[in-house]
Amino acid sequence: MARNRKILLIASVLILTVSFLWAGAQQEAAEEVDEGTVLNAYSIWPENWATPMFEEFEKATGIHVNFMRFSSGEALARVIAEKENPMVDVLFGGPVETFAAGVKEDVFEAYKPPAYDKLEDKFKDADGYWTAIADDPLCFMSNKKFLADNNLEAPTSWNDLLDPAYKNMIQFADARTSGTAVTRIFSILEVNNRNEDAAFDYMKKLKANVQVYTKSGGGGTIPVGLGQAGMGIFFIVDALKTQQAGYDVAISFPEEGIGAAAEGIAIVKGAQHPGLAKKLIDWATTDQMQNYFADYKINFIPTYPGVETQPALTEALKSAKKVFPIDSKYSGENRKRIVDIWIESVLQN
Amino acid sequence: MPAIERRSKNPDTFKNLVKDPALFISVVVIWIFLILFVFFPLIRVLLIIVTEGGHFNLSGFGEMLSKRYTLLSAFNSILLGALVGVCGTALGFFFAFTSVRTNLSKWWSRLFDWVIILPLISPPFTMAITVIFSFGPNGLITHNLLGIQNFNVYGMWSTLFAETITYFPISYITLKAILAGIDPTVEDMAFSLGSSRWQVFHKVTLPLSTSGLANSFLLLFAASLADFATPLILAGSSFPLLPTEAFLQITGLFDMKGGAILSFILLIPSMAVFFLQRYWVGRRNYVTITGKSGSQTKFKSVGKITKYFFLLVCLLTTIFILYFYVLLLYASLIKAFGANNTFTLDHYRSIFTNGKKAIQDTLIIAFSGMMLGGLYGVVVGYITSKKKYFSRKFMEISAMINYSLPGTIVGIAYLIAFNRRPILLTGTALIIILCNVSKYGAYGIRSTVAILQQIHPSIEEASESLGASPVHTFRKITIPLVLPGLFSGLGIVFIRSMTAISAAIFLVSLNWTLITVRILENMTELQLGISAAFSVLVVIIVFIVTTGITSFLKLFRQKGSMRMSSLFGS
Repeated sequence: MARNRKILLIASVLILTVSFLWAGAQQEAAEEVDEGTVLNAYSIWPENWATPMFEEFEKATGIHVNFMRFSSGEALARVIAEKENPMVDVLFGGPVETFAAGVKEDVFEAYKPPAYDKLEDKFKDADGYWTAIADDPLCFMSNKKFLADNNLEAPTSWNDLLDPAYKNMIQFADARTSGTAVTRIFSILEVNNRNEDAAFDYMKKLKANVQVYTKSGGGGTIPVGLGQAGMGIFFIVDALKTQQAGYDVAISFPEEGIGAAAEGIAIVKGAQHPGLAKKLIDWATTDQMQNYFADYKINFIPTYPGVETQPALTEALKSAKKVFPIDSKYSGENRKRIVDIWIESVLQN
Repeated sequence: MPAIERRSKNPDTFKNLVKDPALFISVVVIWIFLILFVFFPLIRVLLIIVTEGGHFNLSGFGEMLSKRYTLLSAFNSILLGALVGVCGTALGFFFAFTSVRTNLSKWWSRLFDWVIILPLISPPFTMAITVIFSFGPNGLITHNLLGIQNFNVYGMWSTLFAETITYFPISYITLKAILAGIDPTVEDMAFSLGSSRWQVFHKVTLPLSTSGLANSFLLLFAASLADFATPLILAGSSFPLLPTEAFLQITGLFDMKGGAILSFILLIPSMAVFFLQRYWVGRRNYVTITGKSGSQTKFKSVGKITKYFFLLVCLLTTIFILYFYVLLLYASLIKAFGANNTFTLDHYRSIFTNGKKAIQDTLIIAFSGMMLGGLYGVVVGYITSKKKYFSRKFMEISAMINYSLPGTIVGIAYLIAFNRRPILLTGTALIIILCNVSKYGAYGIRSTVAILQQIHPSIEEASESLGASPVHTFRKITIPLVLPGLFSGLGIVFIRSMTAISAAIFLVSLNWTLITVRILENMTELQLGISAAFSVLVVIIVFIVTTGITSFLKLFRQKGSMRMSSLFGS
């Protein structure tokens, strides 16, 4: 019988613990309902940029932003998965093509902030589902020692990258996870006048020189900085950060031109704090936030007219002869098809 | 084993269950848990896979299967699993044999035990990062030491290498227990009958360890199948693997269904391993703790030269592992690896300020999971192997489902199932804890069952025939013998809760986050120093807690019984 008592004891401890934890969880949920000054967000911007921005926002408005950082694909996948029970109010940062994909999934609430009318068309969704808070061109970033060892100049044309000296030494992102990669592919399409055969032909040739396709857009920057890879194609914000961290890298631009992607913000449909979310969007889309880019050495180009660009960024952009925005209508309509072709004919070939 | 047969005349009936109210309550509670946290999430995922717009439709499945890349990934996963199984088992056997059969001094055994534990208690990515630093195109070993240019580290070989080093300790632990359990007098008998050392090894030691070898192979195969952290960094695009592809499908292409399908393909080899282990290896268990074992004699299994050869191989591997961890520590203490080698404590300052919440959350989740998971493991393990009741066999298998499934699919299943009423759990700590318990509590079940199987019924019978009451026998014999099962269950749930990522990455939220997820995020943000500092912290915490549990365990060691060398060695 004692054996039974033991089991009974163990079982009751088990039940008690579960119910205790359950109660804890319920209480937690109850606390959440308390409206007020806390806003929840997923940030696609890295923490070291998102944190100072949200701290400044709190200073300005008294609203605290509770956030988690995810890469663009993961963040959007979460928002979609949480559709029936949204956990956050705002999706903050990340290339607008991610937001365009979200609009298709019907996970955002339309909202036009006061700055909406002042922004260029490429910096806003026609129906107001997203608004851009920064602009970010792609660039070539090469390791200087690698260039010197191979008697190369920093590449200034897309065709320079086909040089056999780069064999196995190029790292850039995988289009399945990275908005950077999608922007790169659309850049190649643009410089080939949207001739898909020519563009994919180029990408297939380029593949011979690619060492690995990284998960995140900036995933190759440190390897290039370290010399584990010779060059890569990154957003300038990541490339400049690498240079500023002390790695000996050269930033250059192709003369044929290269694309830029805007960074967006949007309210999640069914948000628990839509009022607070709107305040954040109002703040982020104007000079109120974008003036801080320079203070915190965030190398984005502001979208709000009249905000000055960081000097280091202006300097780096001087050598860029041609930077064009990725047409969000064309890329939105063709994104899935193009990425599928890329997976089939480039990645898996 | 007549005793067991006598017991099994008592079939698993419903009557047994109703007769014993305590058992009845335990069984009902466990079934509720299993239905809610094992079957319900899986059924939800299955529904997503086989329906399209509310109707039964398998076209998504067929479309996925017809892609060459999917089949290639499946093939690669199985190939890699098999290779990791073979290489890891070989290395594990080398170590186990050296440690158990070469009369090593305590000092050596302890050194091996401690170093080999490191890969087991490390957060994911540790080995992958250090492999890149060492063997990458500008790696310390390939480039600086050997002067190789353009060495491509990404692909099958580096993944195989990193996974073998990460998982061979599992094999070491499995085989060490088996080898240590072979009564040396058996080998002595062969020697005194005139056998050579090779004959003894070939005809006695090896056959007695067959079940251990097979078990080790299967464990490593399963571990490699489920691993997504290592291939995410090392496999590259030319060597796709299923768990990584499933993850990318969901996070990259926003394709929940495709990801669920890919991870369901993983189910086939995972289940095959599970049933092989259960019905093939499981039957070949040799009872080793008979209670009749005499005093330990000195092993004569190897000659001097062989001994030093074995020792050398193990020592080199040990140095290699230590080198990886020194590299990790170094990376956590300098400003920027490869660019700025100035000493700094900034990364540690950062994890204790910005990362404080993640550390607290992880500890709360790991400790709660440990308590619940340990109890769950021992209760389920005990009643499924010692009690007879209706639904026993089915419960035994059900409790192993989440354990044998790759974390990716369990994570997806929980995310889909518990994101709406009636069971709204997303955003709580409970969802992570329950996922850990249902998945890793199985280790506790396994160790409890293994221990109960190893205890020859004659020990309990002896106690009873000497006049002890069943209560007394249970208290004095069964409980002390089962305790190691409880503690190794506790320990492993704790370790896994601290280090797992594949399921948890889908379950973390604003309110509850985990160190491992922060490590991945910091890696994507290229804050390698912070990732390294977090990893070092995890290794230290887990090391302290497991050492604590192991010392505690020693208190319960019966006089004269086998030494419990480590928490895992039970």
